[in-house]
This record gives sequence, structure tokens and C-alpha cells, in this order.
Amino acid sequence: MYDADQNRTENRVGQADIKIAAKNVQVYYGETHAIKDVSVDIEDRLVTAFIGPSGCGKSTFLRCLNRMNDTIPICRVEGDIHIDNEDIYDKRVDPVQLRAKVGMVFQKPNPFPKSIYDNVAYGPKIHGLAKNKSELDDIVERALRRGAIWDEVKDRLDAPGTGLSGGQQQRLCIARAVATEPEVLLMDEPCSALDPIATSQVEELIDELKQNYSVVIVTHSMQQAARVSQKTAFFHLGNLVEYDETEKIFTNPQDSRTESYITGRIG
Amino acid sequence: MASQLSQHIVSAFDRDLEGIQAHIMKMGGLVEAAIRDSAKSLESRDEELAEEVRRRDASIDELDTLVNEEAARVIALRAPTATDLRVALSVLRMSNNLERIGDLAKNMAKRTGVLVQLQPIDGAAASLRRMAREVELMLKDALDSYIQRDPELARDVIERDRDVDQMYNTAFREFLTFMLEDPRNITACMHLHFIAKNIERMGDHVTGISEQVVFLVEGAMPEQKRPKADATSTDPRFSPEAGEGED
Repeated sequence: MYDADQNRTENRVGQADIKIAAKNVQVYYGETHAIKDVSVDIEDRLVTAFIGPSGCGKSTFLRCLNRMNDTIPICRVEGDIHIDNEDIYDKRVDPVQLRAKVGMVFQKPNPFPKSIYDNVAYGPKIHGLAKNKSELDDIVERALRRGAIWDEVKDRLDAPGTGLSGGQQQRLCIARAVATEPEVLLMDEPCSALDPIATSQVEELIDELKQNYSVVIVTHSMQQAARVSQKTAFFHLGNLVEYDETEKIFTNPQDSRTESYITGRIG
Repeated sequence: MASQLSQHIVSAFDRDLEGIQAHIMKMGGLVEAAIRDSAKSLESRDEELAEEVRRRDASIDELDTLVNEEAARVIALRAPTATDLRVALSVLRMSNNLERIGDLAKNMAKRTGVLVQLQPIDGAAASLRRMAREVELMLKDALDSYIQRDPELARDVIERDRDVDQMYNTAFREFLTFMLEDPRNITACMHLHFIAKNIERMGDHVTGISEQVVFLVEGAMPEQKRPKADATSTDPRFSPEAGEGED
């Protein structure tokens, strides 16, 4: 007999393959306890969305995943974060290498004040990923294609990246992030400065990227979280309130705080 | 639980949802009256009342259209999630159930128009009215369970559909007996049987509404199976000729 329920579940989320395992993570900014004992397993090859009101800690937690918080002097991170069973806060881990493996795309497109080509080539160059110019050319083209911007820029690779439109700049930044062949892509509100068309293009891109990467996206747009992610985590006041399949979060959340937030109520 | 949630930040969203639910309740009231009056017109052989039931069905249909349009609008414009989404989905299904009950009551009223021309069958109209009364009470409780977001009351209504099915079984047997006794009863009994079947179907639609209440509050359809006590289509004892043939 046809088991519709089972079928649906299989379509939704494949085999759980844990990419990032965070356990009892605490983050302090000076005296402020910003992340309170968050434990979460992030799966490989799917999109995980972090949602929650401003100041709930979702971006702070995202930045823990590639040690971006190291750059903030008053920030202190406790707990365990493992990527592929490796403790990323181990003293032997080089944060620069880690960030090549765990790429990041920010809210505001931030291309370097260099040519489109150099924007993408910079990472592979400093990480020594290309032996010669022709290899580097290939890497740049592949990254720009993955960023879904190749066709728009292939004739003007020498033009400055800052001369592109906002949506193109953001896709350039995504191309730059994937150029170093990362395994995880962190996106902190990648579409908040983009118009709906550019947003759709980036969302389509995210959907393609999940074939190869584990994507974690912080977004204020609940509709975006619903559209692009397979798993959603709801943060509130530094706590991870609920973490489940996106479909479950948006149709039948278990925690009343999640429900209040996603339905737009004063919670 | 839905009723414990506070209001939306966008108050127009609350007004939209409340507006649709008010339409559903208005529909519910009209449908309850249609059940009551169609059964009453049958028993008192009141052609005028039967005609009125038929006329009033148009307002039920209009409300159904309105609910469909407004639910579609809320889904398109407000992208409801969680409880809000379940409200939007449940009103669509409930409206459909109510509209169908209205049609069945209208059909009863039409048949009343024919039955008043025929010789009455002893006790039939009274037992059909009792059956209709039971469905009307079930509907009232189903709508109350919706207002109060009370899945236990809804489950109770679902269970009570068994009684309606059993009343239908009894009516089926009675009408069959009347027809076997005297072929001149056949025309009236055929109509009466359709009415009984209509009422039995109304019970199923009320069950559907109650299931929506469980879905709305709990996020999943009820785990309990619908009681199926209408045995007339499967049990050969309800069809004496077929039963005898098999012996």
C-alpha cells in the first residue's frame, strides 16, 4: 500500500548527515550573556535557517561557526563546536584556514575595491589553490558560474566589482565565498539589501548550493526561511527555542514563543 | 492553543481572520435552521416552510463563495503560518461541509413538496425529524467546539455520528418493510429513504467539521477513525432478497 506519510518525510529531509555539531555553546559580550547554552546539529547538504527577533543571538551564533567572533575583543565563546568531528576552537586550528572551509556572505554586499576577477581570485590565490594563471582562470569562471553571475560579467572581468548593481554585487560575494571550495556557507541576511528579483536569484542560487554545501542562513524574512530552508531554528533572547523541519515550524510549531513570532503576534 | 494566542501586531490581520470566522458562524446558523425547518416542514407537511428552506439556501451558497474568496485573499496577501494557516485551511473545508449540508436540507425540502401529495407513512416523518434533530445538535456542538477551540467536544461529536448511522439503518429497514408490505408505499418510501440518506450524509459532513476543529487546535487530523455504523450497503441482512438468494 502507498504510504503517503513516509514518502513525504523522505522527500523533505534526506539522511541526516551531521556537518556541524554545537554543544552547550555560551557567548558573552563582556557581561552580557548573548547565547545561552545552545546545542544544535546542522546537517550536511541542506539549508538551515536561523530566525528570531533582532538581538536574539542568531547572527552571534552564526559567527561562532567560523570564529568571526574572535575578532571582537570583548567576546567570549564557551562550549563545543565541531565541524566534521573537529573542534574548531582547538588551539591548533588556524582561523584563516577555517574560514576558507566555512565561507561567509554578509548582509551588505562588500566587494573588494578591485576588479571582478580579483574579487574572486583573491581567496584561491592566498590559499594557494591555483598553480598557474590558467588554473586560476578556471577557478574564477567556475565560482562566477556557481554564483549565477558569469553570463552578466564574463565580458568585463576587469571592471571594478563595486560598479555592479546591488544584486550582482551580492552574487559576486557569493562567488567569492565559494571560490575557495568551502564546505559550509554561512549567510547573514544575504538578501536584505536586494530587490525581489535579485532576492529570487540569490534564493535560487542557495537552492543549487545546497547540492554541495551545508548552508546556514540568518534571515529576518520568515517567508525566505520558509522558501529556502529545510530546517529552521528559532532563537529568542539568546536561547534556541525550537529547531525542527521548516515545514513543521511553519505549520505546527511546538513552542508558543515560536508560534507568536512566526504568526506576527506580540509574544 | 489558538484561543490563548495574543493579537497580531498587524491588527488588520486579526480583523480579516475574525471576519471569515464570523461568516462561518453565520453560515452555521443558517444551516442549523435549514436542517430544523426542512425536518419540521416534512413532519407538519408544510409546503410553504419547505419552499422557504429552498429559497434560503441561496444565502448559504453566497456565504460559501465569500468565505472561499476571503480565505484565498488572506492566503495570498498575508501568507499565514501555523495556527493562522490552519484557520485559513479549516474555514475553507468547513465552509464546503456547511454548503453541502445546506444542499442536502434543500433536497429534503424539495422531496417534502412531493411527499405532501402522497399518502403519509406512519411514524416515518417523526423518526426522520428525530434523526435530523440529532444532526442539528451535533452541528451546534461542532460549531461550539470551533468557537471554543475544544477538540474534546469535537471528538465527542465525531463519536455521535454512530447514533445517526444507526438511526439510518433502522429507517432503511422500516422503509423496506413498508414497501414489501404494500407496493403503493413505494413512491413515498423511496423519497423518505433519500431523505434519511440525506440526513445520514449531513452527519458525515458534521463529522468533517469536527475533524477540522481537531486539526485547527492540534495541528493534525484526529487519530480516531470515523465511526462507520451505516451497514445497509454491506450487510446482506438489510437486503432480504439478496439474503434469501444466498441461502
